[in-house]
Amino acid sequence: MDSRRAVYLTGRREVLERLRSRAFVISTLIQLAIVIAIVVISAITGADETSKYKVAYSGAEAKAVVESAQRQAEAFDAEVTPSEVAGETGARTAVDDEDVDAAVVDRTLIVRTDPSETLTSLLQAAQRQVATTARLRSEGLSDPQISTAINPPPLTVDEVGEAAGGGIAFIGSLLLYIAILTFGVVVATAVVTEKSTRVVEVILSAIRPVQLLAGKILGIGLLGIGQVTLIAGVGVGVALAIGEIDLPASTAEAVVLVIVYFLLGYLMYAAAFAVSGAIVSRQEDVQSSSAPLSILLVAGYLVSISTIDKPDSALAVFSTFFPPLAPMVVPGRAAQDALPLWELLLSIALMVAATLLLLWMAARIYDRVVLRMGAPLKLRQAFRYVRRAPEG
Amino acid sequence: MASLELRDLSKRYGDTVALDRLGFTVDAGQVFGFVGPNGAGKTTTMRIVMGVLHPDSGEVLWSGKRVDAELRRRFGYMPEERGLYPKMAVGEQLTFFAELHGLSAADARSSSDEWTERLGISDRRDDKVEELSLGNQQRVQLAAALVHEPELLVLDEPFSGLDPVGVDVLSEVLLGVARERRVPVIFSSHQLELVERLCDAVAIIRDGRLVATGLVDELRRRRAGRRWTVELENGDGSWSPGIAGIERVGDCLYELSGETDPQALLDAARGAGAVRRFGPAVPTLADLFRDVVGRDAGDGATRG
Repeated sequence: MDSRRAVYLTGRREVLERLRSRAFVISTLIQLAIVIAIVVISAITGADETSKYKVAYSGAEAKAVVESAQRQAEAFDAEVTPSEVAGETGARTAVDDEDVDAAVVDRTLIVRTDPSETLTSLLQAAQRQVATTARLRSEGLSDPQISTAINPPPLTVDEVGEAAGGGIAFIGSLLLYIAILTFGVVVATAVVTEKSTRVVEVILSAIRPVQLLAGKILGIGLLGIGQVTLIAGVGVGVALAIGEIDLPASTAEAVVLVIVYFLLGYLMYAAAFAVSGAIVSRQEDVQSSSAPLSILLVAGYLVSISTIDKPDSALAVFSTFFPPLAPMVVPGRAAQDALPLWELLLSIALMVAATLLLLWMAARIYDRVVLRMGAPLKLRQAFRYVRRAPEG
Repeated sequence: MASLELRDLSKRYGDTVALDRLGFTVDAGQVFGFVGPNGAGKTTTMRIVMGVLHPDSGEVLWSGKRVDAELRRRFGYMPEERGLYPKMAVGEQLTFFAELHGLSAADARSSSDEWTERLGISDRRDDKVEELSLGNQQRVQLAAALVHEPELLVLDEPFSGLDPVGVDVLSEVLLGVARERRVPVIFSSHQLELVERLCDAVAIIRDGRLVATGLVDELRRRRAGRRWTVELENGDGSWSPGIAGIERVGDCLYELSGETDPQALLDAARGAGAVRRFGPAVPTLADLFRDVVGRDAGDGATRG
């Protein structure tokens, strides 16, 4: 039997066992729910930015003011719906009954106590414009001249701070952090389960340790890719369906990068997690033996969050070229268009190199310690086995 | 003819010598017992045969050929520490093991069906292993060693933890496999009466060294001659002849030193009363075991 079949058989077993486990299905559903919730909540809070106002008017002059406000509303992230009322009494009643947010009658602005500042400045600006236009017209200026005079080219807006795509970056690095940690732990648990149930000795009388390890990492990785793609896909799909979020143009690339970095990050961490499972004999020791890996992942996640506002900071750039942190940081930077192509390519090259190195070391260590029972080894001790001859 | 030969196997763990130039041969179709006190190196030896452990020196030969991973895939193994996937269904698990050993998916499935049938667990095929009784788990474990129709069977303590019915079922299966398919079956056990009843040949080891090996009957006969049974009509088993060179070693059992003539024992017995029975005592395997590994080591037989 060739190696590929051994890897296929053991990998398929892992996939089937997880797909049938209720825990796996439920955790996938929970993560889907969380991502959908994040998208929907950010859509709702995003929608709040466009405030909607109903403004009543009475009289021709007031009508001109309100309609002008309606035209200018967009600049204020607002929307104004005009309606006509009969006289000052009707206007006061409409405001008082909360049928409208404000009313303009002649030269009076009627509002409830503590009015929206946006609305009042919007209406004041509209009034100024109407008055200025009327005045300029009476001075004999033509409408285009008036328009040029009172609508000078606006200032160009240069946003400092949270860059566009920050939300996508946040979701992306959160997803990567959760996925790599989850599936890394699944690998460690699967390795130690075979040790603690002693089935590993039966398996290894049929196939070689490296085949078992490869099957396990690939099988669980396939599940991981499936889950990440599903969650990312559903997340983007829901965002598009709601239509409230302006997805940055780079969304598609971000999703691809998330999947690429999941693949590399997962393979690298899975190799290390497999070792953390192989050096202990009991299920309850895995958590402490894999703690250094979880800490690295958390560190990567924290770096990604702390650099969302400053994707060009030294820390962010450093992490891009530091493989253990890169998976959480790079897709976020890319989503914010803060990643030059050469940095991306160098980062991927370093990831590939680190991943291959770790897989090679893990295969050697796994081969030497997987049948070892008894007191747990330290992760550091385990890495000394890389240089040792096989002992079994 | 397919035979297994262990040649000069040595293995040490740090300062502890686990195996010291151990060697013996198991012939085709033989049921071969592997006995020795706890810590003698039985499990280490079996793990080396199965390639789960690497010896420091020495080699394992199958029909004269050095055993490699490809050959080992055709061996069946039941480790001392039983191991199955607890959350996997019985039938599926056996199919998986069979496929790992190189059977095609279809062959694996039919073999899985066949062995669950033969071992009386066919109605548990769809149950998870963890839902089975320990006795049935043991049967699944045995099926896992047999499901790929191995050419050699290596079983570490297969009888431990079995009830008498389980022992009979297992004995029957092992004899069947060895007799019908000429598969050498090597197993370790502390139940020496069982080993004596089932095995054609044995190897007795102590402290990683071989102390005796060969056909059971031959070994027993070789040891006969020094021990004699004397039964008196009066039934007194505690009678002692009081002659130099003859020592009473058990009920009606007397051991003669090298030069002593058995007739001297008979004469002394006649003097004590009418003799109902007089003859050479053929030692049991347990006697042999105690002789060669020392009486103190016999205590290990109680361990599971």
